Amino acid sequence: MISQFCKWLDATPLSQTFQGWVWFVPTVQTVHILCIAVVVTSVGMLDFKLLGIAGRERALAAMVSSFMPWIWSALAILLATGVLLTITEPARELMNVAFRTKMLMVLIVVMILRRLEFALRHNPGYGATPRLGARLVGAGSLLLVVAIVVAGRWIAYL
Amino acid sequence: MDRVPLAHALHLRMMALRDTCQQLQDLSFPSQIRESDWLFPTLETVHVLALVLVVGSILIADLRLLGIANRARPVRSVIAETLPLTWSAFAVAAVAGSLLFSSKAVTYYDDWPFRIKMLCLVLAGINMACFHALTYRHVAQWDMGPTPIGARVAAGLSLILWVTIVGAGRWIGFTTRE
Repeated sequence: MISQFCKWLDATPLSQTFQGWVWFVPTVQTVHILCIAVVVTSVGMLDFKLLGIAGRERALAAMVSSFMPWIWSALAILLATGVLLTITEPARELMNVAFRTKMLMVLIVVMILRRLEFALRHNPGYGATPRLGARLVGAGSLLLVVAIVVAGRWIAYL
Repeated sequence: MDRVPLAHALHLRMMALRDTCQQLQDLSFPSQIRESDWLFPTLETVHVLALVLVVGSILIADLRLLGIANRARPVRSVIAETLPLTWSAFAVAAVAGSLLFSSKAVTYYDDWPFRIKMLCLVLAGINMACFHALTYRHVAQWDMGPTPIGARVAAGLSLILWVTIVGAGRWIGFTTRE
């Protein structure tokens, strides 16, 4: 069923137009990578804070409120550029196991980030002293963003 | 006195460099990377992971210097937080990148996006060195207040150069495909 959808999407005038522009995929991928830089660095710094490795100078709440607007905006652009890339090469993405795994992991990271915002809204002192729960959130989301980048690059090879 | 015209001398120099690239890619490890199914993509993954951290951490510093983000924090504490990450990630990206280069050195040497990327990397280094030698030396005077024009120019140039580096880097993958 998905493979039929890919065939249909591939044949749409929009997809055909994008496919005809040789500069389109590398340009959209460049924007995609720049936004990945924003998300991975921001989430990574929050995770280091949660793990008690770095950022001892600032409270977690202050870091989260300064990083979150950037993370959400970058994620919105990532979704938009990701959709454009999928329209251009539907089967390369939707039929690919690395792509599917990546999407699942992105969903989990988004839920963790929402949960973190929620936790801080109800308890501004959350994560002030690294506890096991906060460390697990930090380690889990760090592993996930790394795995997302790995899966993203391997879409090209699987 | 017989003088080799400059253009000809340059051409000879470039051919010699190209020969060096050929010798490099004929070495055993570069050949292994080229012939293996998983080594190249794995090194590329490490390169991408490291470079997103380089670009992300530089972006944080540049946006602070431009007065766009983190205005309430002293410049020095923003840079103290990001610079160790920038340098350690850069070291990883450079090692992985050099290994990728070694596997197809002649192809990359001939590739224009690769040349543009290397040029921009050198320019970004010079830009950073000038900023540290000229403007950052007096950071104590503007740590909290508005940043001086020198810092804004350096940050703007850095942003343009790093976006170009990422773009050219992505282009290399499309122009060097077999």
